Amino acid sequence: MHIPDGFLSPPVWATLDAAAIPAVAWAARQAQTDLERPDDRRIPLLGVMGAFVFAAQMINFPVGLGTSGHLVGGALLAVALGPATAATVMTAVLILQAFILQDGGVMALGANILNMAIGGVLAGYLPYRLWGRGRTREAAIFLGGFVSVALSASLAMTELLISGVPMSRHLLAISGLLFLIGGLIEGAITVAAVRAIERMNPGWVRTAEPLRIRLVVAATLAAAVLASFGVAIASTAPDALQAALSMREGGHSLWFHKAFLGLGAMAMLYAGLLLVGRCAGRPLLDQTGVDQKPRGSA
Amino acid sequence: MQHASGSRHVNVERWSRGASALHCIDARAKLGALLVFLTAIATTSERTPGIYAGYFVLILVAITMGRLPIPAMLGRAALVLPFSAVFALVTWWAGDPAGALVLVAKSFLSVLAAITLAASTPWVRLLDALASLHVPRPLLLVIQFLYRYLFVVTDQAARMRLAASSRQGAGNGWTRSFHAAAGAVGVLFARSWMRADGVYRAMLARGFTGHFAALAVTPFHRRDAVFLGVSAALAAAVRVVL
Repeated sequence: MHIPDGFLSPPVWATLDAAAIPAVAWAARQAQTDLERPDDRRIPLLGVMGAFVFAAQMINFPVGLGTSGHLVGGALLAVALGPATAATVMTAVLILQAFILQDGGVMALGANILNMAIGGVLAGYLPYRLWGRGRTREAAIFLGGFVSVALSASLAMTELLISGVPMSRHLLAISGLLFLIGGLIEGAITVAAVRAIERMNPGWVRTAEPLRIRLVVAATLAAAVLASFGVAIASTAPDALQAALSMREGGHSLWFHKAFLGLGAMAMLYAGLLLVGRCAGRPLLDQTGVDQKPRGSA
Repeated sequence: MQHASGSRHVNVERWSRGASALHCIDARAKLGALLVFLTAIATTSERTPGIYAGYFVLILVAITMGRLPIPAMLGRAALVLPFSAVFALVTWWAGDPAGALVLVAKSFLSVLAAITLAASTPWVRLLDALASLHVPRPLLLVIQFLYRYLFVVTDQAARMRLAASSRQGAGNGWTRSFHAAAGAVGVLFARSWMRADGVYRAMLARGFTGHFAALAVTPFHRRDAVFLGVSAALAAAVRVVL
């Protein structure tokens, strides 16, 4: 579910853009050290796998009643390539979609990256990491697919809600049901696809690493935070709506405030980009050897 | 739920190779102008139609400057409308028709502006502009490879889909065709993986030393600065005055 521009309020998209920057820098950096062979071999692999995501989304899966669904791919990539690499690939997919395919807005890019490339992929990997060994393996993969789609979609819905996009109870109920069905479909497709891939070469799917206790604690914590966040949003939804409406009524007196917020957000965004570029980008640049210094040529 | 994103993009790719005044502006200036413009739209909450008409005129000026086909561009931008329409209808139904129109106008104008950038800037130049905003370079390289193989791999998927549907016919039961589709995803995964290996070997064979050359650094002319300044000023003027 790609959010276009024009829906999220400036504070929401600016915050999410700013939050996406360190997350993407982490994923890109981790993806490079994550590899068995830490060389640039990965870059073509990541690029072609991004193209695979697009292509796999074209394949229709019949889901009964004459309808069909398709793979979203976050959980499948996470299981096959590892979470950081998968997050990097999905980020690349989303940037491409935002700038040339207009799937998802440019300002909403941070939101879409956090929902799908970071949240969706990490949530899709978590069950596999926790229960991905032995008899629970397929159930874990299924759960990964389910959680991945359900979380991405509910994050998007929550962001729209906080932004004051009006939603009736019916729309919320219907979309909740759709997310549930979408999650179940994604889980089933992910399991079937992993089976098909492993029939050809079991080495293409990562084995789940042994569990570390730290991770469980972190996961539980993240789940608790997310759950309480969701509950808080749900219980305050009418208030948020009202607040948005009252803000609109006073719209003209608030324009300066809002424009200032927007400009401040842009400045913050750029400063964040620069900072992250300095901190995280530098080692990456050195590793790929992209520097401006002339190399000694023969 | 079919994604025809690949074929949808062919026009934009063709338009982006033009040589108009807009095409000649530095990609960084155009990206900066787009960000200012989108910020202006995003912070607009007035319901007067004039302000949205003002934004629309500004985009039309840019499209004319780029000698781009206006009807086709509007058609591309209209692809966002189904998404907007759902929320607009709910807003309308909640007794706020003006709010519904604002929602549709804002999303449509934002997409139209983004298309104008994509249709007037070759993709590689756009990546250069993103690099100048300090987007991590490995990520940009991944996007470059992704773009390069996008059509190759999606065409492969389309051929596989055609082959599968001509083999299995109709009425095979949905569990069987579900597994067939899963198999297709598996084969596609395998082929992509092997293609990536092949790509890497071909790079090695051509003397790839493990380092990517830096992308070309293009000069930022005064004309680019003027374009950025004028478009930002116009967007701000529409935002404040109308």
